[in-house]
Amino acid sequence: MTFHPKPEAGPARPWDFPAPERSALDNGLTVLHCHRPGQKVVAVEVSLDAPLYAEPEGLDGVATIMARALSEGTDKHTAEEFAAELERCGATLDAHADHPGVRVSLEVPASRLERGLGLLADALRAPAFPDDEIERLVANRLDEIPHELANPVRRAAVALYADLFDADQRISRPRQGSEETVRRIDADAVRAFYATHVRPSTATVVVVGDLTGVGLEGVLGSTLGEWTGDQAKPRSHPAISADDTGRVIVVDRPGAVQTQLLMGRIGSDRHDPVWPAQVLGTYCLGGTLTSRLDRVLREEKGYTYGVRAFGQVLRSSADGGGASMLAISGSVATEVTGPALADLWQVLRTLAEEGLTDDEREVAVQNLVGVAPLKFETAAAVAGTLADQVEQELPDDYQAQLYARLADVGTVEATAAVVRAFPPDRLVSVLVGDASAIVEPVKELGIGPVTVVN
Amino acid sequence: MGHTATPDTGSAATPQVGLTATEHRLANGLRVVLSQDSLTPVAAVCLWYDVGSRHEVKGRTGLAHLFEHLMFQGSANVPGNGHFELVQSAGGSLNGTTSFERTNYFETMPAHQLELALWLEADRMGSLLTALDLESLDNQRDVVKNERRQRYDNVPYGTAFERLVAMAFPEGHPYHHTPIGSMADLDAASLEDARAFFRTYYAPNNAVLAVVGDIDPEQTLAWAEKYFGSIPGHNGKPAPRDGSLPGVIGEQLREVVHEDVPSRALMAAYRLPQDGTREADAADLALTVLGGGESSRLHNRLVRRDRLAVGAGFGLLRLAQAPSLGWLDIKASSGVDADAIEAAVDEELARFAEEGPTPEELERAQAQIEREWLDRLATVGGRADELCRYSVLFGDPQLALGAVSRVLEVTAEEVRAVAAARLRPDNRAVLVYEPTGPQAEDAQDPGNAADAGNAADGGNAEGSSEEAGDEQ
Repeated sequence: MTFHPKPEAGPARPWDFPAPERSALDNGLTVLHCHRPGQKVVAVEVSLDAPLYAEPEGLDGVATIMARALSEGTDKHTAEEFAAELERCGATLDAHADHPGVRVSLEVPASRLERGLGLLADALRAPAFPDDEIERLVANRLDEIPHELANPVRRAAVALYADLFDADQRISRPRQGSEETVRRIDADAVRAFYATHVRPSTATVVVVGDLTGVGLEGVLGSTLGEWTGDQAKPRSHPAISADDTGRVIVVDRPGAVQTQLLMGRIGSDRHDPVWPAQVLGTYCLGGTLTSRLDRVLREEKGYTYGVRAFGQVLRSSADGGGASMLAISGSVATEVTGPALADLWQVLRTLAEEGLTDDEREVAVQNLVGVAPLKFETAAAVAGTLADQVEQELPDDYQAQLYARLADVGTVEATAAVVRAFPPDRLVSVLVGDASAIVEPVKELGIGPVTVVN
Repeated sequence: MGHTATPDTGSAATPQVGLTATEHRLANGLRVVLSQDSLTPVAAVCLWYDVGSRHEVKGRTGLAHLFEHLMFQGSANVPGNGHFELVQSAGGSLNGTTSFERTNYFETMPAHQLELALWLEADRMGSLLTALDLESLDNQRDVVKNERRQRYDNVPYGTAFERLVAMAFPEGHPYHHTPIGSMADLDAASLEDARAFFRTYYAPNNAVLAVVGDIDPEQTLAWAEKYFGSIPGHNGKPAPRDGSLPGVIGEQLREVVHEDVPSRALMAAYRLPQDGTREADAADLALTVLGGGESSRLHNRLVRRDRLAVGAGFGLLRLAQAPSLGWLDIKASSGVDADAIEAAVDEELARFAEEGPTPEELERAQAQIEREWLDRLATVGGRADELCRYSVLFGDPQLALGAVSRVLEVTAEEVRAVAAARLRPDNRAVLVYEPTGPQAEDAQDPGNAADAGNAADGGNAEGSSEEAGDEQ
């Protein structure tokens, strides 16, 4: 074949993260909307101010059961009819509870947006919460728990949160409750949680998609505008605290062919000015296959299919009192668990000693900023990010500003941020794997005291 | 050199989809499909090679997928991991996947970086063997073995798909094994195997290139010609083994697995009509009505009313050169045995074979499938992949444009008929999981319809060389 020199890029075409328009309905519901031409499936995200820490003592999981029960019938439809009506619109409706609040997500073709929003409004405004459906959801949830514990990724997360965070904090316990707490949940508890925490005045709806020909104001008025509720008392978020002294917890899974790794510690609120530099530095450490961790663990040694480092917001508040999880995760073959961890720690130490290179920083900026138009092609991606910003008490232009700030982060700053984020002696390491094969090699590494749990 | 472009046939797009495409062919046989859409400044490059695990031979299962990994290990002008590095530092994303019937490689780029992606794909199509060495083979062999452990061997029910496929397609059939392959065969793959595989299957006339997005079609075609046009085509590809089989298995196959899983499960694979036929679309609708969501018959019966199961779903794995598979996945509620579930399933399927869908059920199923299609078309990468799919599997990218309309035309009687013909006990392979762990007595589960659907849609069948997704 004839070879040609590597081509140069053409002139970049401008792209900005979409700026939403903000308004409010008469019932106090905050509305953000954004027209995205060509996106024929409209994404609707509703963020409810019902955080997990608001669950009553001993009823962990009630927010989850309430979220799931929103689609189990309304004042107009039984549970079966409601599911059928949704599907008749070609819509999907999902709801889940996480630390900052409950999120309800509707996706529906633009041609059926009004019908979809009508059903969403019914679910929020007048959920029936029938006794027998709640009872079934509780039984289902109980049946799910053993599956989560059998999944190495989930098992590692449960163990890390339980050990890292102080035991009296809601955040230390599974988001969807434990067997003991879920068993106590009934329809009365669900109704009480709804009555206390769900109201339009503290909720936000985000609508994104091709809204050509949609009279959004009118459509919202006749659907979500019918939802009524009182004013809420202001909330004060509890502080989040953790002990990230370096230590190792081995969760025994006899016979496992791989060890699931999860090394984590507590990080700052997303409002911390370090965040953009930390995003950049964390990408250089373990954002992709060409980052430092995979360059050694995957592409040189073949120990893993992939190891990633990330920062995940747990809760973020305007006063900066929230927290994030900084972690490294992946799985490695059982027999190389010791050498893989030794390499992983060496990568962290080398990073602390030598820092990032200008080239690494440059490539990371080009990627993180450059992929933005790809990442936000779909309505659902834009809506999800806008709703996250609301939930995290960030300004509506946060994502747009983040790209500008990322481009300004220097190598020294990115190095400082990632070294501060991942100090080798302050990681709680959870290893889900065959204890009989991995405990001894791990003890020899000197990365902290080793405890084995079942 | 020079190309013969077919006339612009792209103007007849279906109104629901708004997708148009033009088709061209270079002198070396490379087919090029272009679709312009300037709403967002991005461009997707997608390259499908007409080779998948069905082309593998006994003793070398997993080779197509292992080879896909080697395609990211450098070529004549792209050292080491340069393919990843160059795309990522241009603000692009990329990956490759391998299934039974094809291997695909794709980059989504900011529009002004399109040319780079074409240069990279051409370099490895034309010169991979210059760079391929034993060191990268050994390394990627270990990576792929860890991929297998992570996705199949180290998770509960992880090998279910492999077991069902092996029952539904008999020993010796090209689809008897899944793309991930066996550990022993991965160990056995040699550098010479990899080289021979490349020489046999990685030719321009065995591939389709689709470029979709904010592109100048004329310029894009000129770039395709410039970079790919001098790669010689060849006809060294042997005729693939015949994948045709009787429409029904003829008996009920069954395997009971005693494993440390969290709950009992009943799974099954049914042989269904081949992709590309109207009957396959009818089967898709039948599975959607029966097990495609929260208003489906199996969900209402097993989960909602009888409370035998925590999740019950049906998915369709479309296959073009062998019978498609209908994939049933039911995880039992605690204390429920598999017989009770199976009896309820049989009753529902028999009733459906008799009655067919109600008009409301058919409307819902069609609306769901239409939305799924719109979702796939919401990204330039999704559109490029669909254009390649119809080109490689059915010889005509324009077929992608009418796919939704074809599903909407299917009648209730056709849906009933395919169910009556195929969703029968003598046309299925059944897999029952019996838990052996300490909680075996009161075992249980979640599982949901979406999981079942994803598994059968080929997600579990594919190995990807890198997991997508990053958090910022």
